Amino acid sequence: MLRVDLASRVPVYEQIANGLRAELVSGKFKPGEKLPTVRTLAINLGVHHNTVAEAYRQLANEGWLELKRHHGAIVRDRDQPTAGPDTMGKFTRPLRELIAKGLADGLSPSALAREMIETARRLEAKTPL
Amino acid sequence: MIHPPIDIQVVLAVTIGGLVILIAAILWFMPRLTRPDLYFAVTVPPEFRDGAEGKSILQRYRTELVVASVLALALFVGGVVWFGIGFVSVGHLIELVAGFIVFYRARQLTFRYAVQPTTIREAELHQHDRVIPGGWMVASGPFILLAGCAAYLWIHGVETPVRLINGQPVEFRGHSLPVYLLAVSGALVSLTLMLYGLTRWVRPIHASGPERQRELKFRRTISAILLASEYFVTLQASWIILTRRDYGLIRVVIFPLTFVFVIAVFVALARLGQGGSRLSAADPKPATASASPVGDRTPDAYWKLGVFYFNPDDSAILVEKRFGLGYSLNFARPTAWIIVGLLFMAPLVPIVAHLTHFLPKLGV
Repeated sequence: MLRVDLASRVPVYEQIANGLRAELVSGKFKPGEKLPTVRTLAINLGVHHNTVAEAYRQLANEGWLELKRHHGAIVRDRDQPTAGPDTMGKFTRPLRELIAKGLADGLSPSALAREMIETARRLEAKTPL
Repeated sequence: MIHPPIDIQVVLAVTIGGLVILIAAILWFMPRLTRPDLYFAVTVPPEFRDGAEGKSILQRYRTELVVASVLALALFVGGVVWFGIGFVSVGHLIELVAGFIVFYRARQLTFRYAVQPTTIREAELHQHDRVIPGGWMVASGPFILLAGCAAYLWIHGVETPVRLINGQPVEFRGHSLPVYLLAVSGALVSLTLMLYGLTRWVRPIHASGPERQRELKFRRTISAILLASEYFVTLQASWIILTRRDYGLIRVVIFPLTFVFVIAVFVALARLGQGGSRLSAADPKPATASASPVGDRTPDAYWKLGVFYFNPDDSAILVEKRFGLGYSLNFARPTAWIIVGLLFMAPLVPIVAHLTHFLPKLGV
């Protein structure tokens, strides 16, 4: 299920792209499968269709989707990219910032640790995140 | 030819008068049939309507509604007595205007207790809902039936049909039945357009869980009502076309039958509540529940007068009514205006065809 918060500081198109990417990474969509059309997803989320189109374009640029006019978005068989030297840095910085935000919002360190352990366990077991 | 046992105009006046009372009854119950966190089209905490302020607003609304409805009924009866049967449609207009004023006053009072609805939006990516009972195969039935009638008219021609006006038989002109067929086709197309809209243009308020299932049940019920209306109209038309008989008798039957149909529809929808919300009372809050009321996931600011939804940032063409049972258009979408245009044009086509003598005379 895809969920966005219209009041969040993160732009809605980015939230949509992030949510869809999570679904694609977890393998819920197989290569060749169709995603909901831009209009359908926009209707269901109650946002403008240009917002969804922007998210789809972002995922298409990353190689996840193939966009065909009148045929919607089709999931591509994406090659696993090779991680560069700064890839891990790009990942850990926002992760630490997110943890700091969670602590600032009142979450306990043990609750955050539990959540991360659970996520790590799913990652290792290759089950959906 | 069959002579109707009762004067059609009396049946018409009694039926329309009954509808005036029925609409008042529907408006009486309506505030309790909407989603619990929407009260007079304003987002409020779900417990508000059972609190002292909520009950006080409801009591005032109902008192004003009774006064307005009695006045509307008196004007309707007086109008029919003094100005004749042509006044019947004005009765509804008076009641609708009076009902809206009463609703609007209650809405203004409710605004003092308004809260911000949730900003969370959800979408299920894998779900494909089956909204129309029996699918499009069943929905195409009325068109097939009507096409059969058209073919029958084409092959056999028409004997001059007869109808009664003021108890006297009056001959139809030759092109009346094709015009009638065209009018029924227009009604069918309008109903099918609504059916299509229900499958493609409606946003689920909840993406998963039992609430989602209740919403689906509500949508399916509306679909079934639209389908029943299609068959109701088509069977009536087929009877008239194939028997080529007196219109009077069928109207004596049709008006009260329509009245009964409207009551049945209201009872069916009232039991479900708007979006199936009345079925959810006994269930725990869904996992997605947030501190803010979910409502219908539309901000209050985009509801003009509490009735018209106008949100250019929302791609939905149909949204749940805030004060009523069913769906309303998002008037910020161009498609909504095309739909309005088509719905208005549908009855105009046969009128224009009739006036311009576009259709051929058959068998006369």
